Amino acid sequence: MSNPEDHLDIGALQDLKEIMEGEFETLVNTFISDSRNKVEELGHILQVRDADALRKVAHSLKGSSSNVCAFRLSEFARQLEMLGKEEKLDGAEQILESLREEFSRVSGILTNNL
Amino acid sequence: MDNQVQVVEPAVSEIEHLRILIADDNDSDRLILQTIVRKEGHTVYTAKDGQEAIDIFREQSPDIVLLDALMPNVDGFEAARTIKQLAGDNLVPIIFLTSLRDATSLADCLAAGGLDFLSKPYNRIILQAKIKAFASMRRLHETVQKQRDEISLHNDRLIHEQEVAKQVFDNIAHPGCIDAPNIKYLLSPMAVFNGDLVLASRKPSGGMFVFLGDFTGHGLPAAIGAMPVSEIFYGMAQKGFSLQDILREINKKLKRILPVGVFCCASMVDLSFRKHSAEVWVGGIPDVLVYRSKTHQLENLRSSHLPLGVVDSDRFNTDSTIIQLEKGDRIMLWSDGIIEACNDEGEMFGEDRVREVILGTPDADNIFSNLETAVERHTGRDEQDDDYTMVEVTMVGEDEMGDYFGVGGKSYMAGGPKDWSMTYELRPLTLKEFNPLPLITHLLMEVPGLRPHSGKIYTILSELYSNALEHGVLDLHSELKASADGFARYYAERTQKLTALDEGCVRFHIDHHPVEDGGVLTIVVEDTGPGFDYQTKEENSHRTEGYSGRGIPLINTMCRSVRYLGKGNQVEVVFDWHVDV
Repeated sequence: MSNPEDHLDIGALQDLKEIMEGEFETLVNTFISDSRNKVEELGHILQVRDADALRKVAHSLKGSSSNVCAFRLSEFARQLEMLGKEEKLDGAEQILESLREEFSRVSGILTNNL
Repeated sequence: MDNQVQVVEPAVSEIEHLRILIADDNDSDRLILQTIVRKEGHTVYTAKDGQEAIDIFREQSPDIVLLDALMPNVDGFEAARTIKQLAGDNLVPIIFLTSLRDATSLADCLAAGGLDFLSKPYNRIILQAKIKAFASMRRLHETVQKQRDEISLHNDRLIHEQEVAKQVFDNIAHPGCIDAPNIKYLLSPMAVFNGDLVLASRKPSGGMFVFLGDFTGHGLPAAIGAMPVSEIFYGMAQKGFSLQDILREINKKLKRILPVGVFCCASMVDLSFRKHSAEVWVGGIPDVLVYRSKTHQLENLRSSHLPLGVVDSDRFNTDSTIIQLEKGDRIMLWSDGIIEACNDEGEMFGEDRVREVILGTPDADNIFSNLETAVERHTGRDEQDDDYTMVEVTMVGEDEMGDYFGVGGKSYMAGGPKDWSMTYELRPLTLKEFNPLPLITHLLMEVPGLRPHSGKIYTILSELYSNALEHGVLDLHSELKASADGFARYYAERTQKLTALDEGCVRFHIDHHPVEDGGVLTIVVEDTGPGFDYQTKEENSHRTEGYSGRGIPLINTMCRSVRYLGKGNQVEVVFDWHVDV
């Protein structure tokens, strides 16, 4: 779990960095602060057991994390989105926990890549 | 990867600069997309939700819209619908940004007006290709729209021009006396653009000309030819020209102005109510039918000539058929529209059906309407939307036409020369080649109110002129005309003497002065011939029986007085007229 390749598609990230040029740092900062809010929101959502909100926020996180090449984070978000869609919130806490851990790893790798 | 990107990327000059709206609530996604699109050389507007997207669209009307499906406030679907509405006729390609994968969601995107999807994570090359594709689709749509607008503009202009042309045409080709009580006709209001033409004019002698023409072709080219035809027809008919003169003039004009392959199939009838006869010319048009009311039989007058406007004047043939008619007999003229009117199976109405309907109608007054109904039933259309044209002319007594022709007498009274006199001397060179009667008739018709009497006046003038020329200047003897043999000899001699003529003249002295509700017209015709002993002749009740026609006795019945003067080489006719005859 400690290899960056296990969390991010490094090749694609490199391309993204080239495309974004000077904007890459802004992108990374934006993504991290945006996603941090969403992760917190997800915690709150699970407490109030709002399946629809879970689906929407997880969907958004799934999309944005895929765009920064964080495929594992995107996968956890997808699992939460599915649970929200199926309105089966059991086991969601566990996945959110894994997602939190993954987010912190991804944030670290992205920040190091600046 | 870098190399591939460069290969796909078009040269800067080829890149179309577009204005693209990106709406995504996710800041990082929006940032990535915005950066990619801007790097392609496009101008980017960004929105954080659907409502913002709509507002920006309203302000900027961008070329392409990239729209996230799920957004707070107004979502992508609703924004797409509103944007489509705002765009109206313009094509604004909407591409949905979505990581939705299920079929229902994708279908929703299309239903809302999206044209395509772009899924996350974004791929620069795919995005580039899609923008390019939709930009060209948009251009294509603009071109089509521009052409559509142009076509519609052209069409409007064409319709306007047709309306103007029709107005001009209607002014020139007024219906004449087509609404006379003895005429029935069927002609669509826009027939002129089908090349069909119906004209009818009263003759100064009291008869009537009816003309039916069918130009090849449609639209303006067909209508253009109709104008000179009607102008010549009405102009010459009113001046007393003959059927032959009019046809010859029309043919000459059309031959000169129409391009090869455009001509006028036509039939023309000269109807004399007084003589109960008709002279018919048929050129390139379906047989003219003559219906005999007493025997309930049909006769065909076949086309024996080429249409008008085909051959040069020297080869143009005006030979006509003269038929005797009884009261109630009918002459039917038509374009090929009736014969060729097809039913749904493409079967033509045909001449056999025409005959069937006519002969199957017991009351002749219903023939025309029965034909109309039968054709409509055959084609299955009750609207008169076909380009068939037909005319029925019925022989009636002269007295039956009197009321119709007399109508509006007073309206002719305004303006024009009322009080005048003139002398007109015709010398040999003129006598040989020129018929002065149309000119003099025309001059007299300028007298307000006199036109309803033009028939009588024409008869008087022509009788006096031919007497002065033939018996006076040419010294021909009408006794010759008493036998059929002599009749031919008379005309041979006439031609011979006229050709050799080198002295003598005919003089018209015409005087008109107005009286209350009318006028007095005095015509003196004088010739340089030997004259004759009119004292004896008058007792002899004139030498005008048999082949020499009505002559002076007829004139006598029309006028206040007819007097011979001098040595019998002058004749004076005094014609009183009133507007209320």
